[in-house]
Amino acid sequence: MSLPLSAIGMLIFGAVVLYGGLAYFIYRAMKSKKE
Amino acid sequence: MAAVGSAVGLGNIWRFPYMCYKHGGGAFFIPFFIAIFTLGIPLMILEFTLGHWSRGGAPKAFAKIGKKWEWLGWWPLLVEFITVIYYSVIMAWCFDYMIYSLDLRWGANAESFFISDFLGLTNAPEILGSIRWPVVFGLICIWLLIYLIIRKGVKNIGKVVLITVPVPTILLIILTIRGLTLPGAMEGIAYYLTPDFSHLLNAEIWLAAYSQVLWSFSLAGGIMITYASFLPKKSDINNNAIITCLADAGTSFFAGFAVFSVIGYLAFSMGVGVSEVATVGPELAFIAYPTAVTLLPFAAAFFGIIFFIALLTFGIDSAFSMVEPLPVGITDKWNVSKEKVTGIICLIGLGAGLIYTTGSGLHWLSITDNFLATYGLALIALFECVVVGYMFNISRLRKHANDVSEVKIGRWWEILIKYVNPVILIGLFIIFTYENITKGYEGYSTFALLIGGIVLALVAFLMSFVFMKIKGDKTV
Repeated sequence: MSLPLSAIGMLIFGAVVLYGGLAYFIYRAMKSKKE
Repeated sequence: MAAVGSAVGLGNIWRFPYMCYKHGGGAFFIPFFIAIFTLGIPLMILEFTLGHWSRGGAPKAFAKIGKKWEWLGWWPLLVEFITVIYYSVIMAWCFDYMIYSLDLRWGANAESFFISDFLGLTNAPEILGSIRWPVVFGLICIWLLIYLIIRKGVKNIGKVVLITVPVPTILLIILTIRGLTLPGAMEGIAYYLTPDFSHLLNAEIWLAAYSQVLWSFSLAGGIMITYASFLPKKSDINNNAIITCLADAGTSFFAGFAVFSVIGYLAFSMGVGVSEVATVGPELAFIAYPTAVTLLPFAAAFFGIIFFIALLTFGIDSAFSMVEPLPVGITDKWNVSKEKVTGIICLIGLGAGLIYTTGSGLHWLSITDNFLATYGLALIALFECVVVGYMFNISRLRKHANDVSEVKIGRWWEILIKYVNPVILIGLFIIFTYENITKGYEGYSTFALLIGGIVLALVAFLMSFVFMKIKGDKTV
């Protein structure tokens, strides 16, 4: 069985918000530390 | 790192995935993310800022706002301490099950093993039953571990979390990879993620999302205030708070794949629907997961051990973070040895925890958790918002946070703390109260609910005033 399209959509949505957000703020923290 | 370790605990593994499944699958992400941005992150920033600004534990922080508010600093510490008394018992179960995984001791019927053989569960909380010695042994090990980790204070904790944060994450990745390669895994994942947007119109999903954020992020327990007080003067506290929230929520999201892939496999192996085996809390960890482990074609013991080590390591930093603020609060106020105070607190925790090691332990645990974790934290968070928002110049805190942070927060944060969050928290409190009054709680008697829940919650509340009234040796 493959995942329904709507489930894949929510998977991408969740991953982008949580891991995208996390990566962005970690990047900002590292950038400000360097400066 | 310590804040992330504290926030990420057993609830991320055994509660969040089920919440998604129960409340419209992927549709749950929408209220959950809104709850993160409106309640979780603003409260986390508030607690980080309070700790960093006051350079002390929660009592010192609230005493700095106004001497009469010191009790509000003691209250969460006492609630967290009562919480860790039963949380450590769950950790003891994990410890025992880690050992039992070696020979898959639960056999073909994990439910019967857990309920009858392991817990010796009685029919009602009033029937105490006998002490379960394996649980007592596990409990002693857990409290000894907590004591050894926190007796030297935050420096030791800093070293420990370098292990207890990445190790369970790596184990979770291994478990997820194994889970996703099992037959039936995709059916489980589909249950976890497929959205049913009609749930969004139901108030229950919003309530569940806000509750999940409040409890999962270790907010309103004095923990984040204490940890933030140890941050260097020049720390990006806004960014640290946001990273802590997103890391916690990210772990929950990821744990869903580990849990539901195995649930899918369990359903497939038993020839039943996913909905029949999807479960939450101790049932998931000590019945569903062990059953699935037994059915694994190879290396069953290995994956059983990995699962319970992951639970133990996820839980242990939450456990010691619940204890640590109390000795910090006490040594902030009185000239006493932190090591001695920590030892006494750990001994009290171990002694009081014995009630949860009896045959009626699961009943008492469930009652205490319902009242302490439900009412206690929602009320404390409400008081925090009201006291900081209305009894103090909240703009001072925002200025402090922005002065030391690269990520700046605007006036929206003050609006959320002063107006939006109190409304949400009052709503949560009213709904919980209404449900407990109209539906009761799990069919338990009024006597059991009074002793195991309401009286304990009241004791924590009243004791916070006692701690405030006793004269301190130091100026807070």
